[in-house]
Amino acid sequence: MPIALSVTGLRVRYGPIEALHGVDLEFPSGAVTALVGRNGSGRSTLLNTLAGLVRPSAGRVLWHGVDITGWPADRRARAGLTLIPERGGVFAGLTVADNLKLFADGGDIGPALAAFPILGDRLTQKAGTLSGGEQQMLAVGRALLTPTKLLLLDELSQGLAPRVAARLYEVVTTLADADRTVILVEQHTGEALDRAEVVYALSRGTITFRGDPTEYHTHPNATHRT
Amino acid sequence: MLTVELALAGLGVGAIAALAAVGMITSYRATGVFNLSFGALAMIVAYLVWQQVRVWGWPLWAAVLLDVGVVAPALGLVLERFVFRGLHREGAGPARMLVASLGVFVLLVGVATLTWGTQARLDPPSIVPTGSVALPGDTSVARGTLVELGVVIAVAALVAGVTRYTRFGVRLRAVVDRRALAELAGVPADRVAAAGWAFGSMLAGLTGVLLAPHLRLDPYGLTLLVLETIGVAVVARLASLPVAILAALAIGVGQSELSRLELDSWGLIQALQANLFVVVMLVALLVLPRMIEVGGPDATRAATRIGTGHGESAPAGWWVPFVAVAAAPLALGAEHLRIAQQVPALAIVFVSLVMLTGYAGQISLGQAGFAGLGALFAGQLMSRHVPGLVALFLAALLVVPVGLLTGWPAIRRRGLTLALTTFAVAAVVSRFVFAQPRFTSDAVLDHPWPFEDERAFYAMELACLGLVLLVIRRLHVSRLGRMLVAVRDHERGAAAAGVDVSSAKVFVFAIGAGVAALGGALLGMGGRAFDAAAFDPVLGLVWFAAVVVFGVDSAAGAVLAAGLVVALDAATTAGMSTIVIGALAVLLSRMPGGVPATALRLAAGRPAAPAEPIPVRLTPLGRTLRARVRP
Repeated sequence: MPIALSVTGLRVRYGPIEALHGVDLEFPSGAVTALVGRNGSGRSTLLNTLAGLVRPSAGRVLWHGVDITGWPADRRARAGLTLIPERGGVFAGLTVADNLKLFADGGDIGPALAAFPILGDRLTQKAGTLSGGEQQMLAVGRALLTPTKLLLLDELSQGLAPRVAARLYEVVTTLADADRTVILVEQHTGEALDRAEVVYALSRGTITFRGDPTEYHTHPNATHRT
Repeated sequence: MLTVELALAGLGVGAIAALAAVGMITSYRATGVFNLSFGALAMIVAYLVWQQVRVWGWPLWAAVLLDVGVVAPALGLVLERFVFRGLHREGAGPARMLVASLGVFVLLVGVATLTWGTQARLDPPSIVPTGSVALPGDTSVARGTLVELGVVIAVAALVAGVTRYTRFGVRLRAVVDRRALAELAGVPADRVAAAGWAFGSMLAGLTGVLLAPHLRLDPYGLTLLVLETIGVAVVARLASLPVAILAALAIGVGQSELSRLELDSWGLIQALQANLFVVVMLVALLVLPRMIEVGGPDATRAATRIGTGHGESAPAGWWVPFVAVAAAPLALGAEHLRIAQQVPALAIVFVSLVMLTGYAGQISLGQAGFAGLGALFAGQLMSRHVPGLVALFLAALLVVPVGLLTGWPAIRRRGLTLALTTFAVAAVVSRFVFAQPRFTSDAVLDHPWPFEDERAFYAMELACLGLVLLVIRRLHVSRLGRMLVAVRDHERGAAAAGVDVSSAKVFVFAIGAGVAALGGALLGMGGRAFDAAAFDPVLGLVWFAAVVVFGVDSAAGAVLAAGLVVALDAATTAGMSTIVIGALAVLLSRMPGGVPATALRLAAGRPAAPAEPIPVRLTPLGRTLRARVRP
């Protein structure tokens, strides 16, 4: 399988504190990968670095073989690397329709409404007034409108009703195909592990496990499963 | 009875106000910054056109095209790149944004004063036709008014069209709403924001060119006129352009119709007529508790939080040099001593802002109003033969209820809305009290017995300052102080922890007003007269900027700021301090925590974050708890 995104020797410092101590990762193209790690493991730092919001102090990020370490967030997004941040990746002050249009290149917001019909009833509402589940649907729905090649989802199911979470996972896992890669970043391993083909575990700023989801359960380093 | 002629005459004023308000609202929504310098930008462009046409003899159309189409947008780009981009990236709240825009305001006024002087130019060129159009029923309306109305409506329609129906409009709103998320969505946020600033500045330029012929062109006139029309923008809740246009026209007509009423002996009607825009601003802010502010929930939550340097415990005896410096003027001659007397008085006013904004997170742009009231009350009491010392403290007490009244709106308001409300209170007090000879002519202010001597008075001021600092310090480290900080950092969290948020806010406003009044009264007594100009609301804006620039939660910084303001004005020309404060305010995004904190950091050569955790001295209870957590 070709590699969509690879990271070598990634280090990130916040002042005197190093949050990532040389992380190496490879995300195979067209697969669903789970990246699990507890609070403080460096999970969000890693994600923000991949998305271009945080500059690494060392290491390289390669996107289909191209070095994108110095690219700003908006350039990465236009290249097809989409991060949906933890809780509410929506513009609260814009209407649902505007949120979708911002991403729809040709102006067609149909695919998002087809995946989440409830959004169709909310088009003129400000996104900030939606429920948590609807906001997450909107955030994922937007990703359906872009030529996204790699989707980074931070805590997709956090605080959501199980039924809503299941629907969201269903949509994002069907997204993964030859052309598109999905990375589920989770604190709890349950749902994400069932859907993933590859698992990485991050702990205290280093990768402590890489491999198959079935192996993960028996791995001694997988201490933080819940 | 309303008359048609007066109504038509009022339309002229209304059209001007509508233009300014539409420009301000549009620029606010396009940039996310309520730009106090909008009027100053307008003034600069008007001056440029005047210079090119009247001095260099350029054709009018060329000058207007160049200045409105190129120079104004370029100015906007410069502002975005060097002043506001850093603040946006940090997610700075409205307080720092207001201070930065105030810095731009002050700098531009300073530049205009240095370049063109303060004398008014009476011949700004006009781009609208003169003459009037006859209407049925023997009335007529000025041609210029019609053109201006047309321009306003066209601008409003254009703005509405672009924001609603174009991809750029959606992107611009997304950047203003949540900048980082917009970047994740592939929007080049810096470039889009720059375009917003360029457009907002272009509107300011257009406003300036259209308004200048109606006024004499001087560095302040146009700038302040635009500040007055904030009321119109507030009626439109900073959002609706049609409401803004209608409100502006209504106020213009109302002002015109008021001129028919009989003059009353109180002068209230005249004052109302002359200051209708300011009154509307205050009333609208009190009636409409919430503006439709831009920025996501993060932005409003960060509203009252002001980034400050890391607090560290000061070395023992750190206050010794302060006392030495403060006591030094006692050795000066009487003339210099009189100037030095302003320092402790102003410092007391500034310290009231430290308490209000730094500790409690409440923005107040209206401290000049409280200070002025303090001076006025003291003067009135002294004219009634109340002993000076009694008058001083009684005046401060009397202003406390006024502070209560201002604190009451603060219960439901925060951020930008609160800032504007306090500014409106100061403006109304200034226009309806300080500017009315009825209230001020018989005020008598003098050094109080037994401190008639210049030296004795200065020493008394120092004692007052010391007392205020002591009280503030006690307050800050007390349970109440912790409650105020809790309210500042997280209002709901504080409420959940059992803090009575409403009372805390009202209380801090009341105390802040009293302290500011004490400072104001001392300022008046030092000058031996009540000077309305010393308590102008615009000066209140500069004071706020000075306090934020010198570290909003640092009482020592406030004293330093007062010293600098007085010393600069005395050593150079009056107004120099304003320009320096403005320049520092513009650089605010590069100076987290204010000037002293930044200077200390640079002097120590340390990175912004503390390299090691600060050692904590535990109480016995703390030790027990820690032993349980980490055996």
